[in-house]
Amino acid sequence: MPSTSIDIIRASVFSTYAWLKNNKWLFFSMLIWPYLMTFLILALGMVYGSLETYRERLGISNPVLYILASSGIVMSSLMIVDVVATSALYHRWLGTLPYLLLTPTKTYKVLILEPVPSAILSSTMSMLAILPGAVFFEGLLGAGKLFLILLVVYLGMLPLIGLSVIIASLTLVLREETNIASFLTPLILLLSGVFYPIQVLPTILQGMSRIFPTLYVVQAAKLTATYTIPEIKALLGLISALIILTLIYNGTASLALGTSERMVKKSGVI
Amino acid sequence: MLVNAIEAKGLVKNYVTWDRRGFFKRKKRIVKALKGVSFNVIRGEVFGLLGPNGAGKTTTVKIITTLLLPDEGKATVMGYDVVSEAEKVREVIGVTLSVEKGFFWKLTGRENLKYFGMLRGLKGRELDRRVEEVLELVGLKELGASDKLYEEYSLGMKARLALARALLHDPPILILDEPTIGLDPMSARTIRELLVKLAREEDKTVLITTHNMFEAELICDHVAIINDGRIVAYGTIGELKRRAADRLAVEMIIAAPHTILGDLEARISKLIGIRELGLEPLEEGRARLRIVVKPGEEEVIIAKSIEAFYSNGIKVYQVRVHEPTLEDVFILLTKGSK
Repeated sequence: MPSTSIDIIRASVFSTYAWLKNNKWLFFSMLIWPYLMTFLILALGMVYGSLETYRERLGISNPVLYILASSGIVMSSLMIVDVVATSALYHRWLGTLPYLLLTPTKTYKVLILEPVPSAILSSTMSMLAILPGAVFFEGLLGAGKLFLILLVVYLGMLPLIGLSVIIASLTLVLREETNIASFLTPLILLLSGVFYPIQVLPTILQGMSRIFPTLYVVQAAKLTATYTIPEIKALLGLISALIILTLIYNGTASLALGTSERMVKKSGVI
Repeated sequence: MLVNAIEAKGLVKNYVTWDRRGFFKRKKRIVKALKGVSFNVIRGEVFGLLGPNGAGKTTTVKIITTLLLPDEGKATVMGYDVVSEAEKVREVIGVTLSVEKGFFWKLTGRENLKYFGMLRGLKGRELDRRVEEVLELVGLKELGASDKLYEEYSLGMKARLALARALLHDPPILILDEPTIGLDPMSARTIRELLVKLAREEDKTVLITTHNMFEAELICDHVAIINDGRIVAYGTIGELKRRAADRLAVEMIIAAPHTILGDLEARISKLIGIRELGLEPLEEGRARLRIVVKPGEEEVIIAKSIEAFYSNGIKVYQVRVHEPTLEDVFILLTKGSK
């Protein structure tokens, strides 16, 4: 019986659930991470200035909620990159990669679909972890904003998955045993303008930041956190940017994965 | 109906490897892993692919299981081509590549099986039923290990779970790469008995790779011996043994500290003028000497050897002469390999 895409997604959701169930402390740490990050940023910020200054410079109404939401967004993005880009490597270390590839379906389908549910679940969880904070500060409106941010995060996932698949293909083909994707983590933190405006960065880094989907997700989150009703025009602009990046990254990813699959099966890396 | 479950014809595979001689300096090297491997596996039999380390067993298995593309040649599984019909091939095979790993460490045995079952398209009650069946079949239920985390499994349990996964979707063909390697005798015996039962009672075709001659002799209907990327012998155990019918094996258990074995082997070889001998260290400072001789020569060789040992102060505990075993044939055919 051939396996369908749904079979792969179901299996992946099940393994993620079982993994979290058997690692409760990890699950707990994922939930409190945005709060720890917010505390750290606020504490560091207070050393150099006040909440008022931060509010003025970033043009936001609630810095605490903004940092909380931004931490959630950046963690979601990092998780997507981490889970998808390192999936093949992770399975190779575990020795499960050959058995994944023995699934009776197209190999590229397994390599793309297997890590995605885990990435989506993890990032949804890190966003939902913020829910108590959002409700505390802004009541139901805060929850509504968070839901809107979550939708933007999902949209931001599409190009990030493509980018991560390209990294995963490179990792397999280059026979690297280290995580090539790990260099992306500081880049995402630096270039996405999560905790400060990208205008403070040198021009070259500002240019680079535009090729990272996280920038647009953070800006969209900023819009929803700043205004009661987001400016539709600005939001549409950001969504268009994400769609363009999705097309570019996923188009490149599908080519890269096909090529790397052939190379890997020829070279015997698995 | 197909007679052969697996057919391999002229499989050739070369690997490119790099000798690393510094931070940037490296030299390309082509390793000829398979040099035209051909064999057939009949439906419902246990087939053994035997060979020393690096002979090409795992490469052959990887090609048959669609994990590796051959450079030349063709292989089919249940009539499906391993390159052009890879997905069909994957539907009819259950595979174990390593008994030591290949599962999620933080999931239980049952959860791991459910995951791999879902990947194979099993769902709902059918999935639960199959998971329970295979856990029972491989004895993990009896050991109370179904709900233990994989990281807490012994090697024997891991081997059983690997076999359970291969059986999960009830495939007609099992391809197992060294399924008993590193296992204690009891676990190895359990796995062997199970494989024979699956072939005899459930009509499954089993292909195993091994360099355990005892195991092959015990369970395989046909074997192929692969050496240096080529099949050097193919047939039933009886047929292969007949290839060494002009030989007898003399075995002696002697008292010899492990440190002197290398030197001793050379001395004995020189003394009795026989090249085909081997010394294998045993426990408690003993060693097993094995000399292959022609029928009729054995008495003289034994006398000469015992005399040589006693004159060197080496005790002889046991002397035994027997017909050639599969191991003798294997050594004969793979002599000179690395």
